Amino acid sequence: MKVGIPKGLLYWKYGVFMEVFFAQLGCEVIVSRNTNKELLNLGVKQAVDETCVPIKIFHGHVASLKDQCDLLVIPRVMRMAEREYICPKFCGLPEMIKNSISDLPMITEEPIYAQNLDQLYKSMEVFGRKVTKDKRKIKEAFHKAWKAYEESFCGIYDVGYKMRVALLGHPYNVQDSFLNMNIVEKLHDLEVGVMTEEVVPRREVNAYANQLYKRLFWTFARHCYGSGMYFAKNQFVDGIIYLSAFACGIDSVVIELLKEGIGHFPLLVLKMDEQTGEGGLNTRIEAFIDMIERRKWYESNVSSSRECVHGS
Amino acid sequence: MKVTFPHLGNVYMAAKIFLDDLGLDYVIPPLSNPKALEIGAMYSPEEICLPYKIMIGNYIQALEQGADTIIMAGSCGPCRLGEYCELQKNLLKNIGYNVTFITLDVPKDIGKEELLNRIGILMNASGKSSYEGIQALIKGIKAMYLVDEIEKEVYWRAGYEVHKGDCKKILYRYRQDVFATNNPNKALVILKKYLKQIKQVEIDKNKDPLKISIIGEIYTVIESFSNLYIQERLMDYGVSSLRMLTPSWWIKDLIGKTVKLNSIGIRRASKEYLSVGIGGHARECIGEAVLAAKNGQDGAIQLFPVGCMPEIVSKAILPTISKDKNFPIMTLVMDEMTGESGYITRIEAFLDLLERRKLKVV
Repeated sequence: MKVGIPKGLLYWKYGVFMEVFFAQLGCEVIVSRNTNKELLNLGVKQAVDETCVPIKIFHGHVASLKDQCDLLVIPRVMRMAEREYICPKFCGLPEMIKNSISDLPMITEEPIYAQNLDQLYKSMEVFGRKVTKDKRKIKEAFHKAWKAYEESFCGIYDVGYKMRVALLGHPYNVQDSFLNMNIVEKLHDLEVGVMTEEVVPRREVNAYANQLYKRLFWTFARHCYGSGMYFAKNQFVDGIIYLSAFACGIDSVVIELLKEGIGHFPLLVLKMDEQTGEGGLNTRIEAFIDMIERRKWYESNVSSSRECVHGS
Repeated sequence: MKVTFPHLGNVYMAAKIFLDDLGLDYVIPPLSNPKALEIGAMYSPEEICLPYKIMIGNYIQALEQGADTIIMAGSCGPCRLGEYCELQKNLLKNIGYNVTFITLDVPKDIGKEELLNRIGILMNASGKSSYEGIQALIKGIKAMYLVDEIEKEVYWRAGYEVHKGDCKKILYRYRQDVFATNNPNKALVILKKYLKQIKQVEIDKNKDPLKISIIGEIYTVIESFSNLYIQERLMDYGVSSLRMLTPSWWIKDLIGKTVKLNSIGIRRASKEYLSVGIGGHARECIGEAVLAAKNGQDGAIQLFPVGCMPEIVSKAILPTISKDKNFPIMTLVMDEMTGESGYITRIEAFLDLLERRKLKVV
């Protein structure tokens, strides 16, 4: 059986788990190509106008895969930690795909609950049964997949640079180099190192997230906010670049919380959609890096009139 | 302590009755208006949803009238509403207002004691016993049910009325009368009187007006300012409109949820198209669309603010329902930039389409 895995959304963090799981069950795993212009256009054509660009890209990946496989993995991720949620669009992802793209092969519509290993196993068992009836085999595949996931590391931790910035945002915005126009390389060219939220210990993330009056109930919001606060408070990096898809509901909240939390720490928010031009993006990144440089090496924080120059 | 609260359609009437009975000092913000939206849009983060912006406007207009405590409902669903309180608290603090926020959240999340603690602040200020508090709450809920019942009848009967404008007259008059009195018991009597009156409005049962369901995101659907008074507009066109999401439905749903017996009809209807709850009121939206098609309505209008995450999912599903059931559905997306003329044109075009379908011209 050929199993197709679209290289979009949570693939960037958990793709390896799905790949190993289905490969262990004896399927031929087909992962879609890296995102490119063609896929984006394909997605934009199919998806609902109001969605964010990562979802549109996912539509493109699905459309490109649908004729090549017998089973398409469209994960309906309901929850990734106890009492937490992720964006509602993920919970309705199979519906969005089903109603926007025609002639689909069999797809996985069952919900995935991933708050703990038992729950995750139960969810994956349903997936496995679509391929094989052998329960033992599913169990084995699951454990191997989990191990592979645990051993994988998709974060970035650069050392040896004079200056470092933290790159925050949903994993698919940070990792998909087409969507963010290869920002990591751009920063490296400017001799700036990059850190992502994966390098921050979970304990610290939760500690900062729990300081809020209202409990943050989105998993990725917690990660972004907690790690951003950690980076800023410990001066672990020189600035934060937040990658956000246009009209992302979760980011609209997290960015506000982060601004409030980090105070005058340098923060650049880059909004991305299918119309974002690369020139503007370059200018903004360069200006931001220049600003940090000057702040760090050439200026003190006190202006001639003894007022804070930086920050709002 | 002078409390205030954000507007949500006609909740202010029930809230007034509740607060009057409790004897708390309160300020009701001026009904949501363009000025409030302007203030809200000025201070709010750009990409946050429309309800947030209108609420900020409500708060500031109420704070200018002397309020110092804001009561606000919270949630812990995947919807952004849950995060409002934190953001709004920071925002008001940053622009220089000193306010206390009392967020009434589900006990599952903040703990029963914390909830009772928060309610306790209100009860202490009122100086009433908890028995009296519950009495006041019951009165408030009763009023909410009456208000919703009246509005439902008004919007439904508008299509059938013999003398054009009867229903609208009652709609405006009852709002004025109820708001004018400070006596909770008298207010309930007035509400009952108007309910009787609306049921006696002369109607022509042989008429067959267009019937439209209003579905979508709960705030935009209930708060008529945010949807540019769509239901009142439809009354002018002689169209009967139906909306299931009301504050009283929300109360019932909240209570039903604890035993998982909430809105069974809607859940069953939505099953074919959206099998799990994805947060917000996406499932309700789908369920209502299916029910509307089944109950012989002529069409449905979906409303949601720009960027509303759950409703985007339902917007993706609605075309399939429309195709399967041969049932026209139009989506209107609202934000602070929505212009009135374009909006009216779309509604009129939709109504024309429905009319022609009905007369079998197409």
